[in-house]
Amino acid sequence: MAAITANGLEKSYGSVDALADMNVSVSRGELFGFLGPNGAGKTTTIRILTGQVTPDSGDVRVLGVDPTTDPIETRRRVGILPEQESPPSFLTPREYFDFVGKIRSLADETVAERVERWADRLGFRSKLDTLHTDLSRGQQQKVMITQAFLHEPEVVFIDEPLANLDPIVQEQVKRFLVAYAAEDNAIFLSTHNIEVAEDICTRVGIVADGKCIAERDLGGDGGSESRSDSDDASTRDSENSLLETFLAHVDDANARDVPVMQR
Amino acid sequence: MSRTFPAVSIDLTLLRTLFREEWRLHAQLFGGRRFLGFPAIIAILVAAAAVGLSATGTSTDAIVTGLHVFVFAFGLYSGTAGFAGSDMLENVFGDLSLVLSSSTTLPLSRRRLLGVFLVKDALYYGVLFVLPMASGLAPLLEGAHSVTLPLAIVALWGSLFALFVAGMVVTVAGIALRTRGVPGWVLAIAAGTGALALWTTGTHSQLWALFAGDGAAGTAMLTVSTLALGAVALRVYDPTYSRPSRTATDRFATLERALPLASAERGLVAKTLLDLGRSSGGFWKPLVSTVILLALVAAMVGIVGEITGIEPAPGIFFGGVLGLSAFTTYNWLTQFDRVEAYLAYPVSVEAVFRAKRTAFVLVNGPTVALPYVGAVLWFGATPRDAAVGAVLLAGYSLYYYGLTVFLAGFDPNEFLFDAVRFATFTLGVAVVLVPTLVAGFVVVPPSWPITLALGCSGLLFGAVGFVLSERAGSKWERVYRTG
Repeated sequence: MAAITANGLEKSYGSVDALADMNVSVSRGELFGFLGPNGAGKTTTIRILTGQVTPDSGDVRVLGVDPTTDPIETRRRVGILPEQESPPSFLTPREYFDFVGKIRSLADETVAERVERWADRLGFRSKLDTLHTDLSRGQQQKVMITQAFLHEPEVVFIDEPLANLDPIVQEQVKRFLVAYAAEDNAIFLSTHNIEVAEDICTRVGIVADGKCIAERDLGGDGGSESRSDSDDASTRDSENSLLETFLAHVDDANARDVPVMQR
Repeated sequence: MSRTFPAVSIDLTLLRTLFREEWRLHAQLFGGRRFLGFPAIIAILVAAAAVGLSATGTSTDAIVTGLHVFVFAFGLYSGTAGFAGSDMLENVFGDLSLVLSSSTTLPLSRRRLLGVFLVKDALYYGVLFVLPMASGLAPLLEGAHSVTLPLAIVALWGSLFALFVAGMVVTVAGIALRTRGVPGWVLAIAAGTGALALWTTGTHSQLWALFAGDGAAGTAMLTVSTLALGAVALRVYDPTYSRPSRTATDRFATLERALPLASAERGLVAKTLLDLGRSSGGFWKPLVSTVILLALVAAMVGIVGEITGIEPAPGIFFGGVLGLSAFTTYNWLTQFDRVEAYLAYPVSVEAVFRAKRTAFVLVNGPTVALPYVGAVLWFGATPRDAAVGAVLLAGYSLYYYGLTVFLAGFDPNEFLFDAVRFATFTLGVAVVLVPTLVAGFVVVPPSWPITLALGCSGLLFGAVGFVLSERAGSKWERVYRTG
């Protein structure tokens, strides 16, 4: 059974159609890259899959749970690393992880042990008792990565995980993500960065105009298989680099500008 | 080949850019046209307060001295580079990048930039804020009805402006010492001890007479002293100084365990309390807001009493009005997070709102209780009046809170920019407050029937507020999930 499935998702914000027949499926063990230009519908899809927003129509399942009807259970079982959120300014990382641990019903000892591990892995041990407001963007991003994995979820949704990180830490995070997915977990990675997707993902979906218009299996052994809207395009895709495939499918003029929140 | 511009030209360019930035910041914060009306509003407020105080028997000299003290305090605050470092600005605009910080990327010394920035602040606030204050006092000045009035206003402004700049420079001197490693608490103790010594020896009045009370000569002396202190402060200021990172012991766990609440709610409440407690001003902020409200209302009571000869029942009056601080307290409690930030965790929006309500009760309780007790003691409320006022204070606080949360969710500041919501809120407040104030004025001290009716009103509206805050959770959950 797929860890994540979305069929026929549609979502509009006023007169703007953010998603139009979005279909996507991710299995356990996959590190799925969700590639697309700004406003293509990536963030809206993640927000629907994590129960933050309800779709206008379509079916969604994450680990067998419907995020539309049970958003809390969905968020209990998955990890989320949003692109725009920072940790609370006036808490220290240690306090923030205490907070996340309480919300996620983790034992204090478990939180302490995992925080130690993550602090060593990403190199922010010396910053554990510094207020977030006094941390650099890169250090804040390390804290956000840690909170997403603190409860060791089976599915993780990540939006631009490497932003603001130095190259060494980027490499560590990439290796970690590959290893984590390989342990029978599923990672849903939204990114603009084609190189990153090509480097670590087992499969990518290319999003434009509110739907997934092509998929490409990157396997891990160098081989690739493609699905596309037409057979001809599919044949071409299997011969092209990911960048060429991406450019071939994405017409920037069709990308939609979607408001973050309309109230 | 590159050209070398004279230093004065660079300073003027910098000054012009800083003025433009300051103006746009205020225009953005308050709305362009609205900000344009600010000087007029300041003048009207000062004039109203001055006339009111004068009508209650306060001498003109005392009013002028009071304004000087206020302007000096305003200068002390402005010396911190105004809003430039405040959390509030960051909350409104997000991460800010100001011209003040451009010495990191441009060939400009930080010391020079700070100097020009202070000149800009002095002129900007001196003209747009201090000058209207001086103008507001016009009705009380000698020759108020003669052609010499403009001269009298200019003379008063000169004296106020000199004191305002002096306040700024004193703060800058403190900041300069901080950059040289002098701890803030040492400066605070030194300032406190100095003020105490001046007060107990009576030297403060001599100093005041010398600098602020001796016409043009005093103003000139103050100006020279200020310029000298400013030059020394800029010389002492260490441009390489950077604030050390703030660390903290793990208070979250301690606080979370100490809260007598259900386990699921404790974490959310503890986080909100820490957010507020660690921000600039901490828990004092809501208290200061309430004390300002109290002072305004107390002044109003005095004025109304003088004019009409009627004094209200203090308990009912202050209980009803101080509940309005629910709005400012809730505003502070929602300054440091957004609902969207909680959507990464397995908590419902309803739970987040419930936690905010608990945090509100914990913070707002003491915040309104202390000023209320002070007011009923000061104005000599009867025990019955004080008791019913306390019920009103608790009930109405919860009602105003519920109304705010229901209408504005996590963004109470949106009231200021949304006419319909603002009108609804105002109507919701008026429905409760106006009859209460009328009752407080009509029967003093309150009779038993009035007491019972108002007590029931407090309980009833408290319940309404609770229901509104309960429904707000599901309402905003729906809003956020449908996008």
